[in-house]
Amino acid sequence: MHTRNLIVCALVLASLLASACATRVEVEGNFPAALTHKLPLRTIVVFDEAFASHRFESTEGPEVSISVGQIQVELFTGLADSLFQYSSTTTAMPSKPEADLILVPNVEDVQISMPNETQLKVFEVWIKYNLQVFKATGEPVADWIMTAYGKTPTRFLKSNTDALQQASMVAMRDAGAHFITGFARVPEIQQWLRHRQTSRPDTEDSASL
Amino acid sequence: MTHLAAIATLALLLALSACTTTTVDEYRENGTALTLESGERVVVLGRRHYADYETEPDFIDCIGEKLKADKEISVLPEKEFVDLLYPWFEPRTAPLGLKRLSKMLDEPMIAQRFKEQGLHYMIWIDGSTETTDRDGSVSCAVGPGGGGCFGFATWEKTGTYEAIIWDLQTLKESGRVKVEARGSSYMVAIILPIPIVAQVQEQACDGIGLQLRTFFMGNRVAEAS
Repeated sequence: MHTRNLIVCALVLASLLASACATRVEVEGNFPAALTHKLPLRTIVVFDEAFASHRFESTEGPEVSISVGQIQVELFTGLADSLFQYSSTTTAMPSKPEADLILVPNVEDVQISMPNETQLKVFEVWIKYNLQVFKATGEPVADWIMTAYGKTPTRFLKSNTDALQQASMVAMRDAGAHFITGFARVPEIQQWLRHRQTSRPDTEDSASL
Repeated sequence: MTHLAAIATLALLLALSACTTTTVDEYRENGTALTLESGERVVVLGRRHYADYETEPDFIDCIGEKLKADKEISVLPEKEFVDLLYPWFEPRTAPLGLKRLSKMLDEPMIAQRFKEQGLHYMIWIDGSTETTDRDGSVSCAVGPGGGGCFGFATWEKTGTYEAIIWDLQTLKESGRVKVEARGSSYMVAIILPIPIVAQVQEQACDGIGLQLRTFFMGNRVAEAS
């Protein structure tokens, strides 16, 4: 009888501890290749340490930690492969690059909201990127602020970890959609492309819907 | 023993009353059945661009299963479709109307992908299932001598969905189906909690799925059911 009581107490304690645990998410997944015309450009994407290991941490309310560094490196590598004729990646700003443009993505901000905060039955993730675009000479072309949003509905018996993982993946896909459909429409980039086209008439324009 | 019999009777009574009411409305452009040639497919997609809700992916899968139940209608899974067309059918980019879709299909690369997949119809599903009312409470307690629950709770769920069929060849709307399913669920707890859950989303899926099949198969579905 004594053993049974101990087991019951241990179970209750374990469940209380489990419910008080922090939510830690290592965002993992795959992205499909983007269906788009390639821009006739050679690019280098620079993933610095801060970007490649970015982790969002919140200690307000329940502790939440979301690691998005590795997955966003995979996302932007795939996006650059899909959108540009030639693309490579590096971890530091190149000094004499053989490229037309250098892209440096940065995470400006990550925000999350959980159903217990908003009374909505969705988990939401916002990511604000600053995509810096430079000429091969190092001269800046554009600072493109790109926001991404993802949400996932609450589900019976679905953990916060699973829900935030899904919402983060939706946000990443949204970032990809924004990048593919918006890159050639950013006024400064558009201007640079136009200027380049007039100076090099053999290049072709990208398709934009 | 008497307690067990009482609980069983109560559960049975509640199970009988935990039913769902489903209302289905439909609109057709014309009375003729929609045709699918050999190798042609249908894709069912959920609307995900609203801030406060999104059409559940499992509901979309459920409708796909209903449509292809007798293997006469071939359905391309939603995830496969959005991956093949990435990034043109994400919540940010998906066309909300036929005009926008038509513009999208002017792009040969996208039109080619549609053609490769043999897509003839696109069905958009918009809606969700929400808990609309809640009453009562169930309390549980655990002590050194054991534990148990006591109480009674009830909640009502409403599932409202609308399906819109787009013909991808004529770029016209072929019809609409609207379904509303309501159901009350109960939880009785006398030591053990006994949930009696109304299958609202499943009933909405049955209603909309069966009705959509009649668009493609005419009266054969109604006769079979």
